[in-house]
Amino acid sequence: MSSNSLKSILFFSCLILVTGLNLTALAQAQDSGETVVNQSDISENEEPATRSLSESIDAQFGFIVESMATVLFWVPVQAVPIPLIVLILFCGSLFFTIYHNWLNIRGFKHAVDITRGRYDNPNDPGEISHFQALTSALSATVGLGNIAGVAVAIHAGGPGAVIWMMLIGLLGMTAKFNECTLAMVYRKVRPDGTVDGGPMHYLEIGLQERGFSFPVAKAFGLVFALFCIGGSFGGGNMFQANQATSAVRGMLGEAAGINWVFGCVLAFLVGLVIIGGIKRIGQVTEKIIPLMCGIYVLAGLVILVIHIKQVPDAAVLIVRSCVSPEAAYGGFIGVLVQGIRRAVFSNEAGVGSAAIAHAAAKTDEPVREGLVAMLGPFIDTVVICTMTALVVIVSGAYNTPEAGQGVEMTRWAFSETLSWFPTVLNISVFLFAYSTMISWSYYGEKAWQYIFGTTRTAIIVYRFIFLGFIILGAVASLDNVIEFSDLMILSMAFPNIIGGIILAPRVKALLKDYWRRYKDNEFTVYD
Amino acid sequence: MPLHVSTVVVPIDFSVASNGAIETALEIVDSPSQIHLIHVMLPLETMSPGVLLGDITDVSRTEKVTTALKDLADDHDADGAHIAVMIGTPGLEIADYAKRHKADLILIPSHGYHGMKRLFLGSVAERVLRHAPCRVLVLRRTDNQ
Repeated sequence: MSSNSLKSILFFSCLILVTGLNLTALAQAQDSGETVVNQSDISENEEPATRSLSESIDAQFGFIVESMATVLFWVPVQAVPIPLIVLILFCGSLFFTIYHNWLNIRGFKHAVDITRGRYDNPNDPGEISHFQALTSALSATVGLGNIAGVAVAIHAGGPGAVIWMMLIGLLGMTAKFNECTLAMVYRKVRPDGTVDGGPMHYLEIGLQERGFSFPVAKAFGLVFALFCIGGSFGGGNMFQANQATSAVRGMLGEAAGINWVFGCVLAFLVGLVIIGGIKRIGQVTEKIIPLMCGIYVLAGLVILVIHIKQVPDAAVLIVRSCVSPEAAYGGFIGVLVQGIRRAVFSNEAGVGSAAIAHAAAKTDEPVREGLVAMLGPFIDTVVICTMTALVVIVSGAYNTPEAGQGVEMTRWAFSETLSWFPTVLNISVFLFAYSTMISWSYYGEKAWQYIFGTTRTAIIVYRFIFLGFIILGAVASLDNVIEFSDLMILSMAFPNIIGGIILAPRVKALLKDYWRRYKDNEFTVYD
Repeated sequence: MPLHVSTVVVPIDFSVASNGAIETALEIVDSPSQIHLIHVMLPLETMSPGVLLGDITDVSRTEKVTTALKDLADDHDADGAHIAVMIGTPGLEIADYAKRHKADLILIPSHGYHGMKRLFLGSVAERVLRHAPCRVLVLRRTDNQ
């Protein structure tokens, strides 16, 4: 490790420690009612002095989120309360699926073959194999969206929301194909072998090729980059920190200031990789993630096998609630919106984030990587989310108030059958959160570089802000964190889906040519 | 006024304009050994997929760029030109390299953008101009790429 890395770690550790200790002390002081504000300043109408620092920050954060939501979650037709962005996501995914002639179904087997490495040429340009690119993208998507997000969807939208999650998961496969193919077409391969790609690049260059002026194309790229930075602070960071903290509270119990302390610890651990440059930690985490996924899915299957008699009833309940949803969940539209929001939040199809990771794949065939990317939403949503949903429903957690919400509900559902599982789940939650934060810090930094350049100062500023948001995420309430995370991540789809539709003819032409060569057996097989 | 230089630093970003910079440098110097072809790589992001899952390291990157620089020198009949690869902020590293090697001249292509593109893309050349310890010759790009 270089001396610069050591200095960075030392400086950063001190900063986190000092900030954390001060904030913890302050939080504890306020939690215990010690005077931190002048008592004479408090009128009868104001919040009591016992309101903790965490709550104050959360309240202010909530106000900001609410203001942003009125703009970004604008409902165009009041009679049909579907936010515009949810409409764009659904219609966009449907468009890509029909336009690319149901590639999610006809290209599935070929996508699996590519991922298995049948067509991997080690001499192709790029950084990583198809399988590694899929693993990298999944490490950002598989995680709390699948564990906590499904519980949130069922809590807010009822069991019927699961159907909409699955549907958007299936349609989202082609949206993911479209964006990742574009990322490959317009990526920049540097002479040192590294790759720079993603929606900001294909929007800027691709739209100019389609006749748009530079300012318009650049505006698309900039808007995407801005929301991507927001997404890296929200869903890719605060939501993860929040739910990881919740998991720790589940293990260690409630204690004053635990959110602050754990937030600081988490920020420190992420900082070791993104500022300290200790790549070994990130490498180990990335390799553990598939194992944790396997354990999670296996445990879910065990529970479903034990409750096999209840599974048909759960399936019927899901379907029935989907077509005749209860008013408590906001009726048909409420369920639909919840299902789509949580599915997209989990698999990020149409959002454009995974395209940044897939752009690093070692291939000279853009369509090939697009096909690999298509498997992401299938694994994430159709398989893992559905399994979580079934466990939550067969265990009865979804209509048991003491089960809590978010990750707490899923933990309760698993522990009903496997009493030892919560510990494994808590470790999984921590590791999923950690790997997602590292992956998203990369996405966010790429977007940040697109706007602010690649100078050392610009990069280090982003990384420290990212760490600050981890602490904020640990102390804020789940509702506010989810709202902010949704706002940012879903809003990335505005420029990405609109731009993706404009550029879709290019993808279609590439797909047509690729598919003809594939059917004519023109590709070299390497296995 | 003719330029009399013994050491010319030519930063290479492998764009079309880099070719023009090498050609110009060869016109100025007596021997290719007076030319230093340098490339500055950005620091590796430890959270990038290529680092976490692939085999991208600073060593592998340096090897690739060194080979590419040698090929470029060969293409321009600049055998004997010095080759160097660094990691850091391009403008600062170029100026620092020129200082260490007591260069007389830095010969750098500029992007030649106007309006919005100039505003957004900034310039390595501008940063070199601010920090350079010697004369800097900025070549205007004609391809507007």
